[in-house]
Amino acid sequence: MKYVEYINKLIKDEVLRADRMVIFGQNINAGSCLSGLTKNLKVKKGNLIINTPNCENSLVGIGFGAMMNGVSAAFMMKQQDFLLLGIDQLVNTYNIIRQRSAGEGSFTIMTIIVDNGYEGPQSRLNHFGDFCSIAGIQGFTITNTADAKEIISSQFNAPGFRIIGISQRLFKQEIMEMNVLSVSPDRSVFQYAQGKQATIICFNLSLPYGVVMAGRLKEKGLSASLFSVNSPVPVNWDELVHDINKTGTLILIDDLKSRNLASDNLLVKVLGHCTLKQKFIIRRRPEENVFSPHHDQMVIDYDHIVGQLATEWQGGLKSAEI
Amino acid sequence: MEHQDKIKIAQEVLRLRLSQILVNDRYKKGDFKVPIHLALGHEAIAVAVSAIMEGKDQLVLTHRNIHYNLARAGSLKGELDEYYLKPQGLARGLLGSMNLDNDNRGVVYSSSILGNNLPVAAGLSLGNKVKSQESIVIVVTGDGAIEEGSFYESLVFLKSNGLSELIIIENNQWSLATRIEERRCPIDLAKFADSLGVRYEIFSSNNPFEYISKLADYRQWSLSNKAPVCVEVQLTTLGHWRMKTDGYPEGKFINYHAGPAPDVDSQKDYIFTSTKEDVVFVLREHFKKEEIEAMADRILSQLQKEIA
Repeated sequence: MKYVEYINKLIKDEVLRADRMVIFGQNINAGSCLSGLTKNLKVKKGNLIINTPNCENSLVGIGFGAMMNGVSAAFMMKQQDFLLLGIDQLVNTYNIIRQRSAGEGSFTIMTIIVDNGYEGPQSRLNHFGDFCSIAGIQGFTITNTADAKEIISSQFNAPGFRIIGISQRLFKQEIMEMNVLSVSPDRSVFQYAQGKQATIICFNLSLPYGVVMAGRLKEKGLSASLFSVNSPVPVNWDELVHDINKTGTLILIDDLKSRNLASDNLLVKVLGHCTLKQKFIIRRRPEENVFSPHHDQMVIDYDHIVGQLATEWQGGLKSAEI
Repeated sequence: MEHQDKIKIAQEVLRLRLSQILVNDRYKKGDFKVPIHLALGHEAIAVAVSAIMEGKDQLVLTHRNIHYNLARAGSLKGELDEYYLKPQGLARGLLGSMNLDNDNRGVVYSSSILGNNLPVAAGLSLGNKVKSQESIVIVVTGDGAIEEGSFYESLVFLKSNGLSELIIIENNQWSLATRIEERRCPIDLAKFADSLGVRYEIFSSNNPFEYISKLADYRQWSLSNKAPVCVEVQLTTLGHWRMKTDGYPEGKFINYHAGPAPDVDSQKDYIFTSTKEDVVFVLREHFKKEEIEAMADRILSQLQKEIA
C-alpha cells in the first residue's frame, strides 16, 4: 500500500468514528482530494466536510474557534508553506487557548510537507519544527505504518491542539512497514531496533535514510539501535542517551532545512552525558540551502560511514582477541 | 419599551460610564501595569449587545473590551482586580486587560491582535452548526480591523457555510492616531457586504433603546436565515485631550486611544459633550436631567463602595 493510501485509510477510520466533527480544507472533497489524502472521506450524519475558500490564516483561527466550542476540527492542508499565513493564529490564539482546560474540543492541522524537491524557491519549506517551536505546539511527523497508526489513532481527534506533518516525497511510495519496539508516552520517540554497535537517531522525516543506514550496517555484520524523533518539542532524551552510552556510537540524521534544530538539543544533552567512540552528524549543509528548483534530498555517503564503523569494530575485535 | 425597562438600561449606561471613570482615576495615579483601552462613548452598543444575549450566546471581543466586560460581568470589582492581576480578578489575574474574557458570562475570547478574533468567532459559529445549537456568536471589531484580510476571509467563510453571526463594527474613525482619511481609501461597508450577499445595518443614533430593539431583531434574523449580519456602529471614542507644542500653542487635538485620559476625572462631569456623540447626553432625551443625576449619584456611590 502506498504511503498516502495508508494514511487516508487511517483518517477515514477516525473521521467515521468521530462525533461532532468538522473536517475542512481546500479541495478536500473535490478534484483529486489533496492527491488522494482525503479521498472518499465520509462523516457521520450531522458532521461536516467542507471545501473551504483559500484563506489559511482564517482557517487556522476557525479551527481554534470550533475547538473552543467543543467540537473536533481537522484542517487538512495542501502545503505546509501555506501555514505561514496562519502564524498569528498559531501563536496568539493558541497562547490563550492553551491556558484553558481542553474540554472535549479538538483541533488537528494535518499538513503536507512539500519535500519532494524541484518545486521552486517558494515551495520548499520543510521546517516543521519551526512551526511547532514558535508556540510550543505539539507536532508529529509520519513516515511509516507504525508511527502513522499510533499518531493518527491517538491524536487526530484527541482533545487539544496539534499539527501532524506528512511527507510529499513519500506520498506515492510503498509505505515502510515497521515494527515498533517502544514508543515514548508522548509519542515523540519511536524505537524500531535494538543494536550493539551504533545508535541511529532520525529526526523529522529522515527515518527512511536511517532504515537504509541500519540495513547497510547489518550487511557488514553490525547491529544498530534505530530511533525516530517524530516530535520537535519537547523531547525527553533519557532513553536515547542511555542507548548512545551503550553503543558508544551516534549516527544522527536530520533532514530539516531549518537553523533551529531539535537535534541540537539532543547534541547538547549528549555533550554532557555521553562518552562517544564515534559520531556521525548527518544534516544539511548551509550551502545546500539553494533557492532554486533542486532535488532537495539528502545525499548520504553510506559506504563511508559503514566502512569507518566496520573498521573501528573489527579493530576492536582484534584488540579483544589479542 | 416599558419605562421601568428604560430605567434599567439607562442605569447600565451610567454604570459603564462611571465605572470607566473610576478606572481612569486609578490609572492616572499609576495603579496599573497592564495597558487599558477605555471605551468612553462606546457604552450604548455594549449595553445593547449584553441585553440581547441569550442562553449560550457567545461574545468575542478585541483589546478594547472594558465596556462589554463591565456589561456582562454586572460589576466593576472583578474587572478592576483583573487589572491589578489579582487572583480574584475576572480571569484570576491571568489575562489582564487586552485579552480579558469571562466564560461564565459568555465572553469567550478577546484578542489584542487586530483582526485575529474574527476567524475564531467564525469557528465558534461553525461549532454551533455542527452541534445544531440555536445560539449566536457576536464578534466585535473596528474600522481598523476591517482593513485586515481576516475580515474579508471570515465574512466569505460565514456566508459560504450558512453560519449565523452578528459582526459589530465599532467605527470611531481612528486607528491609533490616524484617521481613516489619513490611512486609506474609504470602504463602503454597505456595498462590500452586499457584494457577498451579507446583510448590512448601520447604527448612528447612540440610542441604546433603539440599538437593543434592532439588535434583538438582527439576532433572530441571523439565526432564522442561517446567515451573518454586519452592524456598523458609528461612534466617538471620548476622552481626547490637547497637547501644547510650539506649533500648537492652543493645544493639538490628541484622540484617545489607550492609557489614562488626562482630562477625565470622577470629580468632574460625567457627560463629556452635549451632542449625540455622548450616550449620556442622549439619555436626556428620555429622562429629566434630575432623574439622570439622581441615578448617576446613586450608581457612583454604589461603585465606590464596591471597590473601596
